[in-house]
Amino acid sequence: MTSPEVHALTGPYVLNALPEDERVGFEAHLADCRSCSAEVAELREAANKLGTAVATAPPPALKARVLAEIATTRQLHPLVKQEEPIAPQPAAVKKSFSRRSFFGLAAAGLAVAGAGGIAIDQYRDSSRIRKQNEELAALLSESDAQMVRGDVKGGGNATVVMSPSKDRAIVLLHGLQQLPDGKTYQLWLMDKSRTMHSAGLASGQSADQSKLIQGGVADKIYFGLTVENVPGSPTPTLPPAALIAMA
Amino acid sequence: MSEESTALPWPVAVDATAGTPADLMSRVARGDSVAFAQLYDLMAPRVYGLIRRVLRNPAQSEEVTQEVMVEIWRTATRYDADRGSLTSWILTMAHRRAIDRVRSEQSSTDREQAVAAASSTTEYDEVAETVTTNLEVEQVRHCLSSLTELQRESVTLAYYGGYSYREVAELLDAKLATIKARMRDGLIRLRDCLGVTGR
Repeated sequence: MTSPEVHALTGPYVLNALPEDERVGFEAHLADCRSCSAEVAELREAANKLGTAVATAPPPALKARVLAEIATTRQLHPLVKQEEPIAPQPAAVKKSFSRRSFFGLAAAGLAVAGAGGIAIDQYRDSSRIRKQNEELAALLSESDAQMVRGDVKGGGNATVVMSPSKDRAIVLLHGLQQLPDGKTYQLWLMDKSRTMHSAGLASGQSADQSKLIQGGVADKIYFGLTVENVPGSPTPTLPPAALIAMA
Repeated sequence: MSEESTALPWPVAVDATAGTPADLMSRVARGDSVAFAQLYDLMAPRVYGLIRRVLRNPAQSEEVTQEVMVEIWRTATRYDADRGSLTSWILTMAHRRAIDRVRSEQSSTDREQAVAAASSTTEYDEVAETVTTNLEVEQVRHCLSSLTELQRESVTLAYYGGYSYREVAELLDAKLATIKARMRDGLIRLRDCLGVTGR
């Protein structure tokens, strides 16, 4: 991204109008850009006036529920300055492919992906990352959990962790090639009659991402990844960038 | 610990009228639930109002408001006053939670239906109208009206409508770069008009 383009993202960023991958990219830039951080702080104050402008009294019963919940909620440890960053663990992927080591790796990857956000932005905590890790751990703990993996044309690979009994899957995309503007990755699941069903989009701008697929997983035989025009296609454009047998 | 100070009453009772939001917040960060109850009274209407504006559904809005208020309690220890006002910290969190909810529901809808083109523009019209008729927000109304139409639409569709800039571009039939720029210069104009600072 060239620098004028990046600076123009302060507006969409403050309005939470950036897709996840672009948000992560912009936050990485923010960490190195003092003028951007200052602008973000100011624009944020301005945007939030729009929030104050629509204040509405909540239902009175809500307060009791909130107070009851905080009574059983532990507060976070304060951040001590100059905390050590979470060390990424690259290249540990190769050999032992046991569930346990895989989970450790995936969790590390996700945690690292989130760390930039924490470091430069006090507003976004790690809850999203934590949730992803919890989902992955839960899925892997199912007795029928399976994991398949394949290469993606153009670079990178896709790993599908699934549980037919839970009818859900988590797709971990790693090292994907960046797509030109206006292109997106799209996920597909193929059923026994060889019909492809869209399972949502994955950004063309982010090398590493994870996607949760809930439902429609159990009876599928292949996972597919294609490159499509934004905002996705009702039918897959062939040949796919990846096609991975799920059973 | 001295032997006399057993069974300290906790939380410490305080004058309910005492303290600015910032004072309240530092007490909340030290685990004072009475201060938190006061902070709730100050902030919950803004949190709920914003979430309700974005999500529309009252039950969902209550649920997300509860999440946000509890998150304020949980992360109060991490709040840094040097990096923005308390109101802004809280409303940013509220807005993000609301948007997260919008996006996660959207992605499950997208899985069911093939990804379709943009929806209608009624949402925007409604939003703009409500904002501009709220008497209590004269200043915001006035400042919003000082924006160009495209700036105002870009900002409010994203902030109140919960749309991504790509969706906003689609709805307004404008180029992506144009919408990104209008969101930024619209907010800059709003900032200058409202006289707010980042601290």
